[in-house]
Amino acid sequence: MVVCGIDVGARTAKAVLLVDGAIAAHSIVRTGPESAAAAAAALDRALAGTPLRREDIEFTVATGYGRVVVPFAQKNVTEIACHARGNHHFFAGVRTILDMGGQDCKAIRCDAAGRVTSFLMNDKCAAGTGRALEVMASLLQVPLDDVGRLSLEAGNGRVTISNTCVVFAKSEVLALARQGVPTRDILAALCDGVAERVKGLLRAVGVEEDFVISGGISKNVGVVRRLEQKLGTTSRVCFEPQVVGALGAALFARDFLGRTA
Amino acid sequence: MVTAGIDIGHESVAVVLLHDTGPLGHATFVIAGEVGAVARCAFEQTLDRLGLERASIQRIFATGIGRENVALADGHRTPMLSHARGAHWWFPGTRTVIDVGAEGTRVMRCDAAGNLTDFALNDKCAAGSGVFLESVAEMLDVPLAEMGGLSLSGSRSVVLTSTCAVFAESEIVAEIHRGAARADILWGVHEALVAKIVATGRRVGIEPDLVLTGGVARNVGVVQALREQLRMDVAVPEHPEIAGALGAALLAREPAGAA
Repeated sequence: MVVCGIDVGARTAKAVLLVDGAIAAHSIVRTGPESAAAAAAALDRALAGTPLRREDIEFTVATGYGRVVVPFAQKNVTEIACHARGNHHFFAGVRTILDMGGQDCKAIRCDAAGRVTSFLMNDKCAAGTGRALEVMASLLQVPLDDVGRLSLEAGNGRVTISNTCVVFAKSEVLALARQGVPTRDILAALCDGVAERVKGLLRAVGVEEDFVISGGISKNVGVVRRLEQKLGTTSRVCFEPQVVGALGAALFARDFLGRTA
Repeated sequence: MVTAGIDIGHESVAVVLLHDTGPLGHATFVIAGEVGAVARCAFEQTLDRLGLERASIQRIFATGIGRENVALADGHRTPMLSHARGAHWWFPGTRTVIDVGAEGTRVMRCDAAGNLTDFALNDKCAAGSGVFLESVAEMLDVPLAEMGGLSLSGSRSVVLTSTCAVFAESEIVAEIHRGAARADILWGVHEALVAKIVATGRRVGIEPDLVLTGGVARNVGVVQALREQLRMDVAVPEHPEIAGALGAALLAREPAGAA
């Protein structure tokens, strides 16, 4: 049985192929101006590493922002449900999920079966999303992948950034950089700011263990460590946190196929 | 009696010198360097330009975000009080004042005497601020002073759904790739900015007469979008960027302890 999950996010499109319930391949591509093209590119990239062809896929479920524009998907499911499902696949004990991507941040609670019981989402404001760090990394000319690690090397000189708004904070960051404040210290303040925003969202839904972080932000140790400190808890991260939504979609595809068979 | 009002904003300083019968003159300056020094320099240049002596100014009030850094001022008043008073001086029927500056929006309600009765602020989010317009002007390579006029020639085909200036930037990039005309994108931007301003205003209610102050009031696209969304006339003073400084100068001539 070959099924596919496609997660078309604001910044990246992801695909997961499940063959008889096991992950056969996954991929991540940049989302360009055309969401449908990005979805197709993600699928082709995932197929490229396997002997499979598009025709072999029996059922496809799409999720994410662009889920309604994936022409080759038979169904679509909200990304909230897919993230709960995907994370539950890796961690059966998961009860709270933070999924933080390029354009939004979701705090999700789920039950023992991986079903969503409540959630809160910030998709209105870039502060407290991956985008805030993308913008700042580019401003400070630091590779995004290095932001978290560098932020943990900050000196003792505490820097705070008072603006919540990313646009206003940019001016503040530039002023600090001009004053000669080391980049790692500025990054520490930025990661702390993001963690603080996310903490508010998580506290509002309530944090029960196991606590799992997915989405691109889980690759940022600077945010993850600070969030764990603020919440007084530890977090789990699966092997490829960016494709958890697509995995959830693929698991739903398997359910749909089982029902129609 | 001659009084002075100095308004220290995020990006500029405005100075108004006020005589019994009305303003003697005014000037605006871009902030570069330390705020207190810029305020002093702005004040002295305005005096020079009008041929006035420092001693002829009986009281100086500062207002705006940087009002506490003006050492030469005899006192300071909040920008909400100052804008209400300034707008009321130009338009005595004023009941609502919307001030859109570089870093946010203030909406003031006032009574028939120009006294502040309520206000709402958005200084946390760039989506309702002049900075948003500045960044869009840069993205689309349009002079800031022309973007409002250009937006009026745009069709109503571009609708930005983001409430965040950062996310709106991506939407604008997507529109550019889609081949949308610059004027169409600009109108969509003005609509989005004004929707944010109106949302702030709704917290205190927007009643006529409505006056728009602050530098952004010079943008005819903002004025037009505001008229349409509120279905209300919008009065714009001849020099909207000096409303706060004028208000401070007016407050400075009231007896000490008032306001």
